[in-house]
Amino acid sequence: MNSRVFLSKLVLGLSTVLFVNTIHAEDLSASQRLNGANTRKAFAKTKQAAFASTVRLIRNGKLITHGTIVTKEGLLLTKASACVGAREAVFADGKKYPVRIRRRDEKTDLALLQIMAKDQSFEPVQWSSDKLPAEGGWMVSADPKLKGLKVGVNSGTPRSIKREGGVIGVILGRDGNATGGVAIAEVVPRAAGATAGLKKGDVVTKINGQSVKRREQVIKLVGSHDPGDVVRIEVIRDDRSFSYQVTLGHRSVTFEMFNRNLQMSGPVSRRKDNFPMIIQHDLPLPPEAMGGPVLDINGKAVGLNMARVDRVTTYALTAKIVQATFKTLNR
Amino acid sequence: MLNYWHIAFLVTMPLAALSLCLNAEELKAWEKPFPENGEDLLAIQERLRKILPEAKKAVVAIESDGGAGSGVIVSEDGMVLTAAHVIGKSGKRVKVRLPDGKRVNAITLGGSEISDAGMAEITDEGDWPIAPMAARSSSKIGDWCFALGHPGGFDKERGIIVRLGRIIAKEDETIQTDSRLLGGDSGGPLFDFNGRVIGIHSRISKKDDQNFHAPIEAFHANWKSFRDEKLLTQSSLKDGGFLGVGCEETEEGLKVIEVVENSAAKKARFREGDIIVKVNGDVIDTREELTIAIATTGPGKSVIIDYLRGEKKMTAKVKLGKRPNFEEGEK
Repeated sequence: MNSRVFLSKLVLGLSTVLFVNTIHAEDLSASQRLNGANTRKAFAKTKQAAFASTVRLIRNGKLITHGTIVTKEGLLLTKASACVGAREAVFADGKKYPVRIRRRDEKTDLALLQIMAKDQSFEPVQWSSDKLPAEGGWMVSADPKLKGLKVGVNSGTPRSIKREGGVIGVILGRDGNATGGVAIAEVVPRAAGATAGLKKGDVVTKINGQSVKRREQVIKLVGSHDPGDVVRIEVIRDDRSFSYQVTLGHRSVTFEMFNRNLQMSGPVSRRKDNFPMIIQHDLPLPPEAMGGPVLDINGKAVGLNMARVDRVTTYALTAKIVQATFKTLNR
Repeated sequence: MLNYWHIAFLVTMPLAALSLCLNAEELKAWEKPFPENGEDLLAIQERLRKILPEAKKAVVAIESDGGAGSGVIVSEDGMVLTAAHVIGKSGKRVKVRLPDGKRVNAITLGGSEISDAGMAEITDEGDWPIAPMAARSSSKIGDWCFALGHPGGFDKERGIIVRLGRIIAKEDETIQTDSRLLGGDSGGPLFDFNGRVIGIHSRISKKDDQNFHAPIEAFHANWKSFRDEKLLTQSSLKDGGFLGVGCEETEEGLKVIEVVENSAAKKARFREGDIIVKVNGDVIDTREELTIAIATTGPGKSVIIDYLRGEKKMTAKVKLGKRPNFEEGEK
């Protein structure tokens, strides 16, 4: 009796293997792929947690960024530089609430928002108690529409990301201009300098009132300001002086057209630098899905998505940094 | 009676143990059509984390004046697998950068732009960390895999980047996966869930979940010609010798399925159904091997081809022709 049961199991086992081989004669079905429907189904536990604590922040009827519910009273954290003008928070179940901004933190690019609602029984995100997620461990976030999940792995070493100063969006000529300034050899179309009115051939003489003679000086002075800062640039054009107010751009976005990797990556976040501690993952998320939590397979949040960097890279602030910043912002 | 049962018991026990063993092995989470639950996800995560540290040790960046790519060391004497488009040409001095950032000297060897398989060799003395190469035909559609490399170039703080995926298609000269890749990853290794190299990153497609890798089979088949610095590029293919057969890789061998009119093969009386066995004494199993052997021999020069016609062993001395200009879309 026993032997018959085991023998039939043995045969079954073998036939399963054969069957698997035969279905592998064609391409892998979309549902079986890393981000396929069947694979995502296994993440049921995480899905529930992700959907309860992720909201879509809306301005003029359009999704601008995600947010992360951090208290049951409806406080939420999101990406400060992306949430400007957010009017409404929409949950996965379709419930909508007006939101109001409370405070923002430049250092982390986090903002604290309050959901304006009478029923204060929201489901806050549960932070992982692990110091850092396991390398190669599963990482999961809600997709932009809060209809499904996106999955991937923790893909690089946790680290801080250096600050990247603002740029005018011009290519400077060589030093030693006869007029004593620094000539503009090329103007990047549609970038900060072009928008303000700078032209090819202009000679930059002063930045915020300070004289400049060498290109290194220009780069250093401009780079000491952040993207979004306004600087006054004086130039000489056809022997006449002109003064322009230039709102500085982001280096990586401004010079996108010269970077093949960025061209292949689709839209990326504007601010993707200057973070105190990040974890890196490969989830296929667009910039408007930043601000939401990234969770492990137990549904615990290991970070908050902060920047879509390129085709293979998203940065998330670590749970520890996010929790500490929340304490400061909520004081 | 008692004796009979006793014997039966003795016979069934090992069988039972054997079948239990087989069942346990067959049902590993990463061997199922897709992970079914949290337990399967955890098993996949644990498996990846177990093999990842060892796999990363042999991953390198390849730096030359033209740019940077990735690679993997596969032998103690410093053979590095990479992409043909990363090495560019044979005999070029390049730097190989180990995971700790140390640069060592290397020289490019051969490769083929058909599969995009390429090879380099470290010329400095040392004990190199190595990754095992998978045997021929050991990967198939549906296998879980992970890509390692230096997307965007070497970054010590960030480290080697891991991306998880599955094989979504496999053909003679290419593997397609949904592991995410970026420029700089080219030449980096694709590992299976046994920690063996099954492919080398080649091209990315517009869709970020359909990227291409040169299969490890291309390295096995062409090892000698790559080591001997034979490099088949698009232009060397155009200017190289031309035989004029279309072939298919079959169980019997490399089968002629088409003979081009007025070609060298036609003049040498090759027929559909002939099995090509050797060129100039070297055994030929794949289309790519045949193309390299023919195209790296100039037009007007002769090759000796051993082939089978049915059971009959045949040999032909063939004077190669010039490659005709095929219309766009034809091969």
